[in-house]
Amino acid sequence: MMEDLEKLIHLPQRGEYMEIRLEKIFSTTIRVQNGMVEKIRVGTDEGGYVRLLTPRGSWWFESFQRWEGLREKVERAINGASLLPSSGIEVVRRAPVRSEEKVALTDDFRFKSLEDKTSLLLEYNRILKEISPLLVSSLVEYRDEFRQIYLANSDGSLIYWEKPDIGLNFIATARRGDNIEMYRDGVAGKVGFELVKNRENLAQEVGQKAVLLLEAPSFPGGVYDVVLDPVLAGVFIHEAFGHLSESDTLYRNEELKKIMTKGKRVASPVLNVFDDGNLDNLRGSSPYDDEGIPTGRTYLIRDGYLSGRLHSRETACLMQEEVTGNARTIGYRFPPIVRMTNTAIEGGETTREDLFSDIERGLYAVEYIGGNTALELFTFSAAYGYLIEKGKIKEMVKDVVLSGNLFQTLDKIDAVANDFRWTEVGGCGKGGQMGLPTPTGSPHVRLREVLVGGSHND
Amino acid sequence: MIEIASLLKKERIPGDLFTHRVFSQEINYEANSFQGYEKEEREGYGLRVINPEGKLGFYAFNHALDPREALNKALEVSNLGDKVDFSIPSYPSTWEWEDFVDPRLENLEVQDMLELGDYILSRIRGEYPQALINIVISAGREEKSLLNHHEEELRFARTFFGIGVSANQTKEGDILEVYAERSWGNRDIDIEGLVQEIIAKLDFSQRVADLNSGKYPVVFTPSGSLVLFIALLYGLNGRNLVFGRSPLEGKEGKVLFSSLFSLEEAQEPWALGSCPFDDEGIMTKTQRYLINEGKIESALWDLWSAAKRGINPTGNGFRSSYRDLPEPGFSSLRVKKGLRGKSTLVGELEEGLVVDSVLGLGQSNIASGYFSCNVQLGFYVKGGEVQGRVKDVMISGNAYQALSNIKEISRDNCWIGGRILLPYLLVEPIEVNI
Repeated sequence: MMEDLEKLIHLPQRGEYMEIRLEKIFSTTIRVQNGMVEKIRVGTDEGGYVRLLTPRGSWWFESFQRWEGLREKVERAINGASLLPSSGIEVVRRAPVRSEEKVALTDDFRFKSLEDKTSLLLEYNRILKEISPLLVSSLVEYRDEFRQIYLANSDGSLIYWEKPDIGLNFIATARRGDNIEMYRDGVAGKVGFELVKNRENLAQEVGQKAVLLLEAPSFPGGVYDVVLDPVLAGVFIHEAFGHLSESDTLYRNEELKKIMTKGKRVASPVLNVFDDGNLDNLRGSSPYDDEGIPTGRTYLIRDGYLSGRLHSRETACLMQEEVTGNARTIGYRFPPIVRMTNTAIEGGETTREDLFSDIERGLYAVEYIGGNTALELFTFSAAYGYLIEKGKIKEMVKDVVLSGNLFQTLDKIDAVANDFRWTEVGGCGKGGQMGLPTPTGSPHVRLREVLVGGSHND
Repeated sequence: MIEIASLLKKERIPGDLFTHRVFSQEINYEANSFQGYEKEEREGYGLRVINPEGKLGFYAFNHALDPREALNKALEVSNLGDKVDFSIPSYPSTWEWEDFVDPRLENLEVQDMLELGDYILSRIRGEYPQALINIVISAGREEKSLLNHHEEELRFARTFFGIGVSANQTKEGDILEVYAERSWGNRDIDIEGLVQEIIAKLDFSQRVADLNSGKYPVVFTPSGSLVLFIALLYGLNGRNLVFGRSPLEGKEGKVLFSSLFSLEEAQEPWALGSCPFDDEGIMTKTQRYLINEGKIESALWDLWSAAKRGINPTGNGFRSSYRDLPEPGFSSLRVKKGLRGKSTLVGELEEGLVVDSVLGLGQSNIASGYFSCNVQLGFYVKGGEVQGRVKDVMISGNAYQALSNIKEISRDNCWIGGRILLPYLLVEPIEVNI
């Protein structure tokens, strides 16, 4: 395969930049609900794309499924692209890379039988279901995926890598009359089958939380001091600052560039935020990004000052900054765009307990349902929370959605604890590309005066 | 792939092969300049079988595969599947339907798309020269087919056309972005309406208005009212009903919502999603009520959930891709419109909000109907006049309660994603936090 790609990559002769990606995906999904094997989906998927930047600087992208006839596809791209209008786009060029990275999994899920996978799920489902008669639905979902990716580009790079991904999710729905509560949690990783074994405790916890939510009161809306747990703080930084650090949101917006000038103070001095696609075994990691650029660490915020942003070849070239290895695609049907990899708030000095001590009446928000952003606005939902009164954690509350404005909220983080950890579950959507693995990391953090949605208890 | 159907027949294994073929092309503009062209061709197969013990198996692939190998893989899966209570349907040979294919879209040239993009760009920039405009124009054709173990075949093709436009204005401390889209099965998209919508949204947004927390009447625009429909569609989903996860369980035939509110599923020829049969080969109805004057008439049933409930399927088994098994979904929906103009609804607001889009859709407890969202684009109205755009405001409430609190529905309506025809809804009260 590599030899074929090497020949093709030199076909464009007029200064074009070209990438060819070929990809094969083997996947299994199993869903067990209320003791029934509701769904088993096994599949193989193969395809690829040719992406070409014309000498006049506009992009041509063609995705396909058959690997044969690649030469014709490349020739079609060269010819078709010559009809596109001029856009003046340029990309960073790099020295060629040759690399082949194979993955060795401890307990390779490709060699597990469907029977092993299904019976494990049935057992988890039994445990979950037995937690309480109030659970109307107990659902266990398993998925594994193994990708083989070939990438060749005009730098002369030829890269092969493998990307395993595995996940297990528990979803419990508890019901009493019209009161219905759903709780979900799970594990995910770039690892083998060992990740999903011995998760009986998690199954139990999910069932118990769903039942507890039935009893919990809704948190009254208003403005509060809030402590975010590491999971939610990670989602917060991803939504509140990560997306705005993706240079394709600002590279052609002169006003936004002024707002996002490097060296500008954007947050309180306790805040340090980075993105790192080269950490061992996290789901957002890979040796190279999908444009063949080595991944690495980029500090977005250092001591409260804006210190960097995330780039593709195109945005780095236009903004005349270093390329950072953040061009990612969810698969062969889509071109790589600027994305986060593993994004985190660095741990601080404060102990977790100290974050709560001076809060008179506030909210401790825990775990997440989701998050969303629209430039300066962002919102994220906690799975549940606890009332904080006089520095103490009190009763459990639900329906916790936090919202804010980037320009005001980052400055409100006034304390960062020393209990950093990564969260691997969850994916990010942008530009129609959904479910990209983007782990987040953080310790507990405290925010002052945050807007929380909900009804006033009047 | 007919060989697979023949093999199923020969082996007496009930099953169906779903095929999905898509050709699409797209152009993009970013920050007022042409960015690139994208083209895609894809095709995939999903083979579903019921083995002699009555257990369900499934295998998906998108490359040439020996029929025997595909069948063996699906049968291997079926050994671990659960027994199902439905059978693979036959397709009566008397069915007749039309494809909805617009040749103008099949033969659309890049040049045609570029002319359209340039026109939209120049129109909006004519009014707002400083705005940064992004445009996505896509067009293509899709074809779905089903082949069963009787060697019967169903095939349906449609074209699609979509234009999405966003306009951005940025200044220190305030980033404004407005969005509008039109999608349809043929070339006849109202470009003028799209351009006017963007310009009107920019006009209303130039001033930022302040308001206090409290309970207000809210006019949800067609795109804004999605916040209420996400929960309702979850509740009407047959599988959620079967598993007791829906609050609408046991509520069929009961009046739960405002008598002004009727929701129907209807086959509107060029609407995206509308189709003669669902992805399981069950014929869709030309028109049927899900909610009629506030009363729950029916729900969304695929073969699997209908069989569990012991009722007939409603033609609502849809697959998100060839790789997925069918689940309850819908073809094309519309909410019955009212009598008065949208401007009257707004003009009669003493004090309230217009909500056009929210951030955080589906991120609250959709099972209970609770929502709490940031207003992404919304306007404060006082004395019947739009005072300006609201910022950093949250709305919250319960979608089911809000649907029972509908006070008025407009006669103006608009297709969302070319699939759901929605009017403006006046709901009172809605909790607003700032």
